[in-house]
Amino acid sequence: MFTIEMFILAAAFGLTYGFLLQKADFCFVASVRDFISVGDSRTGKGVLVLMATALIGWGVVLTFGFASLDELWTVPFGLSNLIGGLLFGIGMTIAGSCASGTLYRSGMGYVHFWIVLACMIAGNLLFSFIYDPWAIDYFFEPLATDGGYSLYEMNTPFLILPLVIVAIMLLLTIKRFGVGGFLQGVKDSLTDWQGNPFKQQHWDVRFCAFLMGITATIQFAVFSNISVTGPETRMGGVILGSIFGEDAVYNNMYLNEMFAGYPSVGLGPEEALVIFILVGAMISALLSGSFKIRFPKAKRLPYAIGGGLLMGVASRMAPGCNIANVIAGVGGMSIASFIAIIGMALGVFIATAYIFKMPLLLFHNFDDEETV
Amino acid sequence: MALGEKELEALEPDHIVDGIGEVCPHTLNLALDGLKKAKPGETVMEVTDHSIATKTIPAAVKMRKNAEHLGTVNSGSEYKIYLKKL
Repeated sequence: MFTIEMFILAAAFGLTYGFLLQKADFCFVASVRDFISVGDSRTGKGVLVLMATALIGWGVVLTFGFASLDELWTVPFGLSNLIGGLLFGIGMTIAGSCASGTLYRSGMGYVHFWIVLACMIAGNLLFSFIYDPWAIDYFFEPLATDGGYSLYEMNTPFLILPLVIVAIMLLLTIKRFGVGGFLQGVKDSLTDWQGNPFKQQHWDVRFCAFLMGITATIQFAVFSNISVTGPETRMGGVILGSIFGEDAVYNNMYLNEMFAGYPSVGLGPEEALVIFILVGAMISALLSGSFKIRFPKAKRLPYAIGGGLLMGVASRMAPGCNIANVIAGVGGMSIASFIAIIGMALGVFIATAYIFKMPLLLFHNFDDEETV
Repeated sequence: MALGEKELEALEPDHIVDGIGEVCPHTLNLALDGLKKAKPGETVMEVTDHSIATKTIPAAVKMRKNAEHLGTVNSGSEYKIYLKKL
């Protein structure tokens, strides 16, 4: 069922993502939190470039028949996506990083994010125990449709909608920064080099986002939709199975579904991809001298544990993490992903404003304030 | 007034904030707390091993206009971010 070539391909994709995520210092929490709290749009611009690249990429792949509509990642949509996304956004803000950020920072030696990752997997398993019947009866069935829907299912040529959306994004950018500012941004993103690029700690986030979008497009065309928390759930299932036996996994309805198509309870190519994201980030950090085992302060452990657990549970509710929804979901123009992303952004906003009580400088009028 | 690395290293900060092992948003909140304790004209230096703090802290003080970012010294995986309270 799984061939060695699939594992090698998955490892290559994982290494590429990990390397680029670390080089970009790419964090979806930062893209929202830093914009509203300190007006820093650096990472947010990267996220928009990633979405635009995925949109065009998926449109090209479908147009030229490298993949078909039934290979798009679409899930039932409704209020469930918003609630799941919102809780995931709160969780990742508490934890200090999104799902992809947790992986690349784990590879950089952050012990804090090793704990977040372990707790995310524990959260995935917790959800699997409440899935049948509670989550089905009281969450998914009343709050979501029976099936997923992609805007690609409208009878329009595949590239029309992506081109229209990206054109609107470009027009808004040019309106904000002017043609000169836009072109300067493109030039800056391509020329941010200081000596040996492998030894350079960070590359321009927009450049890395573009390369990640291209990588995800190729992955979609030849292999699969990128996902992180789904494979992490299966990793949790493998751990559960190794302790309590495979029956413990197969008797759990949610985990049983997760391993549908797998020959046994084990790691497949998608899990290999996730593991190699961590390895790719570690290689990137080692090359640039930014790898270091960083121990968290004890008082921060509740944030890592609580945030990780919430991320794990919420990623199953949304469903999907920031990576799956922003790349495969937006690229595939899935309604559920658009709703989940709005929920995640709201969650980051709520946690930033009401849990960390950070000043939201973007909305602050400093003229009214004499002293700080 | 951005300073060079040697000038920054020669500075003796009035307040030192320990951000080692911290992640966002604690790195920024620690810097803001340090600035609250400082008097105008005093320098605050946060030492951190969380690279994204080198972007968020200067952006925050610039927007909040409560401090000047004098510069950042990078030594491998650690960073010293120097701020002067306005």
